Amino acid sequence: MAEMIEQGALALPQRRGIRFGVLLERLSLVAGLVTIWWLLSFSAPPYVLPGPQRVWSALSIIAAHGDLWRNLGITFWRVALGFVLATIIGLPFGIVLGANRRLGEFFEPVLPVLNTVSSAIWAIFAIIWFGISNATTIFVVFMTAMPLIITNVWQGTRAVNADFIELARVLRMPDWKIMAKIYLPTILPYFFSGARLAFGFGWRVSLVAETIGSSSGVGYRLRQAADLVRTDQVFAWTLTMVVLMAALEMGVLSPLERHLFRWKKEAEA
Amino acid sequence: MMPAGEERTAPAPCADDTLPISLSKVGKSFPGPNGARLEVLRDIDLAVKEHSIVGLLGASGAGKSTLLNIIAGIVKPDRGRVCICGARSDELNDWCAASYMFQDDRLLPWRTAVRNVEFALEASATPKAERVRRAREAFRLVGLDTFEDAFPYQLSGGMRSRVALARSLVTEPKILLMDEPFSRLDAQTRSHLHGELLRIHSLMAMTVVFVTHDVEEAVLLADEVVVMSPRPGTIREIVPIAPSRPRDPIEPEVAAYIRRLRALI
Ligand SMILES: Nc1ncnc2c1ncn2[C@@H]1O[C@H](COP(=O)(O)OP(=O)(O)OP(=O)(O)O)[C@@H](O)[C@H]1O
Ligand SMILES: [Mg+2]
Repeated sequence: MAEMIEQGALALPQRRGIRFGVLLERLSLVAGLVTIWWLLSFSAPPYVLPGPQRVWSALSIIAAHGDLWRNLGITFWRVALGFVLATIIGLPFGIVLGANRRLGEFFEPVLPVLNTVSSAIWAIFAIIWFGISNATTIFVVFMTAMPLIITNVWQGTRAVNADFIELARVLRMPDWKIMAKIYLPTILPYFFSGARLAFGFGWRVSLVAETIGSSSGVGYRLRQAADLVRTDQVFAWTLTMVVLMAALEMGVLSPLERHLFRWKKEAEA
Repeated sequence: MMPAGEERTAPAPCADDTLPISLSKVGKSFPGPNGARLEVLRDIDLAVKEHSIVGLLGASGAGKSTLLNIIAGIVKPDRGRVCICGARSDELNDWCAASYMFQDDRLLPWRTAVRNVEFALEASATPKAERVRRAREAFRLVGLDTFEDAFPYQLSGGMRSRVALARSLVTEPKILLMDEPFSRLDAQTRSHLHGELLRIHSLMAMTVVFVTHDVEEAVLLADEVVVMSPRPGTIREIVPIAPSRPRDPIEPEVAAYIRRLRALI
């Protein structure tokens, strides 16, 4: 039956075949960039632009001492903690602000203000309040991520379709089930994009916070290397971060998003 | 018109009313687009007998969907009394559950077709295994069993309305409200589903109210056809259809009903 054939096609989106080609493209892009870097490195002294081999050996030394993983680990858990706190506060707040018109209108002006405060300002406040400690970085990540999550979740609650609520009410679904089965799935894509943004921002500002308010972590190491004019080490740390972020994005976040939101119709190019 | 003081009196209790659906003097206005009130329904009296099938026929904008919404308890009437199984519509009792197939299909886009059907059973504490079994059964009923795991965006309009139909049947309701249930289907599927509806109706002995623009459909299915006239929506005439089902539009008696109703609307 024609219906059966179509069903088969529906079940297996044509992504497999394309993926291998994309991988090849990415690899050649990286190879090209490294080659350019390598060629450029001949035209400048190593403390300005160290070549790939130099950076690689600096990276091996950092990794061999256990320095690499320890500092990455410290930075990662600071970012993660700040981010989790931002989610714990931001998700319910966003929902409440969206569900209650009056509260929403009352707090409306606060978010744009929070969103425009530079992370550097939060870092300075954090040092005044928390000194050189974990709390400084966690606070900066939190203050950066939280408004982003609230804003997105709030937007999500506005997108809840009143017709679906009506449908659930006719079925006499209790309120908590309406929350779980209509509100949550509607909000999830908004939350996801907010969380993704917040996590990325969190990583970046954590480094800023660590350079001035910490005695460990990748940001601290970066500043140390810069102070000693160890440009090869600066490159090594930077490269590690970039690779890590890219791996997280392509290995975890993108596939997760594709799976969670596979019900969305994709516009044809 | 009633005097102003009488309009807002509390609705009389429904205890003496045992009909599945009973409306008296129901009226409804909406705020219109230009600020003036738009009177959508006026003086609607409707008594639907148990196990009967009632067809609502009327021009676009006559207030048919609004009437179903009032029966379903989603829209509050401004005046008049609405009784469902001897209770006011906002205090529906579980043994007289109503199911509403909306004019738009209202499929949840993040659920597959079969999970959309299951949704109707999730209000109660039906175990998952039973939900799945009944959802698949309802699916077979509407002839869609190969598309169970497709998401709504992957379905055609007609398929979507069949999923919505399956969702409204899966709860085995005592009262079934349907707003243009078959309008998006091809003639063949439509007449197949007419047969299915009549079969389910005699099997489960439910009460059905459906809206249609199609005079022939109304005459083939209904015990009574309610003809509405627009602005404000009032009941122009209630026409009982005498011949026994299944009916054939070629039969002279049935054809006569169709001609008569065509002349009425
Ligand atoms: N929620 C609402 N707010 C304001 N006006 C409404 C609302 N719902 C319906 N109306 C108005 O009430 C009138 C009747 O609408 P209704 O949907 O009941 O018509 P209908 O008979 O179902 O028409 P159709 O056959 O096109 O579906 C229309 O003029 C519409 O504009
Ligand atoms: Mg309608």
